[in-house]
Amino acid sequence: MTLVLSARDVRRDYPVAGTPVHAVRGISLDVHAGEWVAIVGPSGCGKSTLLNLLGAIDRPSAGSITIAGRDVARLGDAEATRFRLTGVGFVFQRFYLMPTLTAAENVELPMAEAKVPRVEREARARELLGYVGLAGRADHRPFQLSGGEQQRVAIARALANRPALLLADEPTGELDARTGTEVIALLDRLNRDGTTIVTVTHDEELAQAARRVVHVRDGAIVDDVVRRPLPPAAPADGAARR
Amino acid sequence: MPLALLAAVLPGPPVCAQAAPVVPRTVTIDERLAAAAALAVGDRVLLAPEAGGPGDTVTIAAITRRGADPSEVARSEYRVRLHLDHLQRLAGTGDRVGRFAVASAPGVAPESVAAAIDAAAFGFRAYPAAAVAIETSATFRVVNRFHRAIGIITIVASAIFLLCITLLKVDERRRDVGALRLLGLSRATVVRAVVLEAALVSLVGSAMGAGLGWAASALVNWHYQGVYATPLRFAIVTPGIVAFAVTLSLGLGLVSGWVAAQRLVRRAPLELVGR
Repeated sequence: MTLVLSARDVRRDYPVAGTPVHAVRGISLDVHAGEWVAIVGPSGCGKSTLLNLLGAIDRPSAGSITIAGRDVARLGDAEATRFRLTGVGFVFQRFYLMPTLTAAENVELPMAEAKVPRVEREARARELLGYVGLAGRADHRPFQLSGGEQQRVAIARALANRPALLLADEPTGELDARTGTEVIALLDRLNRDGTTIVTVTHDEELAQAARRVVHVRDGAIVDDVVRRPLPPAAPADGAARR
Repeated sequence: MPLALLAAVLPGPPVCAQAAPVVPRTVTIDERLAAAAALAVGDRVLLAPEAGGPGDTVTIAAITRRGADPSEVARSEYRVRLHLDHLQRLAGTGDRVGRFAVASAPGVAPESVAAAIDAAAFGFRAYPAAAVAIETSATFRVVNRFHRAIGIITIVASAIFLLCITLLKVDERRRDVGALRLLGLSRATVVRAVVLEAALVSLVGSAMGAGLGWAASALVNWHYQGVYATPLRFAIVTPGIVAFAVTLSLGLGLVSGWVAAQRLVRRAPLELVGR
């Protein structure tokens, strides 16, 4: 199995009023291609901080993080930005769609930044929106979409540049139970189609849907349970399939 | 020399049965007088140097339009033009004039004509028309400087206001910018987008401002040209003014957009999205 993500003894300390706060205390974690890992734990346990570190949004105080063979813990600001564009895909709790752009344009945005030719990115945006069930809503703006639809657009956008890893921070946190279930089903389909996913969640239903559940408490992993092992024919290249 | 005064409008031909018919002299009056006294070409009026005194019956030969002279616009006086001999006789001043105009041939410099007259005669001075205009427009130069000072103060205050508004409006979108940065859009892309948008807003704003200025100046001209019965244009929007306004607006937009964008991209993406 191909290792997509490898974190070794990762630490993150914040100075608060002169006193260091240890948000992440020496976490080591491996994620293989095709896995779906749910990181769960109480509020303030450090799981979102860990996700930010894995996605090169934040930089660890110590330790190493390798994603698709690249040490992201040592990247400078410009390199980290570029890595976030092409190396990982992000799904946030609050969607963060650009309100003035249509659904298709939102999906095209990361591809435009990555200099993907217009024809190619338009076709890819339509393909991804079709995959998440929004082919007929491509020209709608975010305010014309429901919360669940907006999150599906955000998922399509996260996959636009074919990242090695999809990171999702509370992807069902802003949704009601029914639309949350739809998003979970979409993530499950994505994973079954080969996308490697790491989610941070409080949502028990989402955690139950993941193949593997990592419990974090006080900045450290206290439990790591594989609920559904990878099938023998799991993807070998580590890249998201969609 | 006192201006000849209009005393009364005669109802019909002059009653002079015993004398040989006298052909009335002709005069011209300006539009303001024609409007105020309801006179028309062909009307006959009594023209006298003093109100109620003896005078001549004259026929209005033409109604003239005043020139666009700002030094005359606020004066509430009428203008009547007479033949020179007629004016001298009516005024009783004989062969004496205060000033007269000399038209120079095309291509001849007015300064050289004035110098030649001054050298040839004694007792008066000749001035080029431009020199007279400058001499009589000193007040307007002061007013013009006053307007310029107000304009500069307005521009400086507007620039500060525009910068503050731009900073606030861009800061309102910090979550969007933060999200873009989280998704991997570079600082340069964000700055470029903000500056481009600010430039477009500036261009549209300056075009709207120029249009508004043109409409306001048309309204001002329409109103005051009617009030003062003059073709003088009280407010003008020239291509130069429009070009200056657009250039200034664009420059301010670019600077304020750049400053606002720099303030945003210096902050960490997580801070921008409020986490």
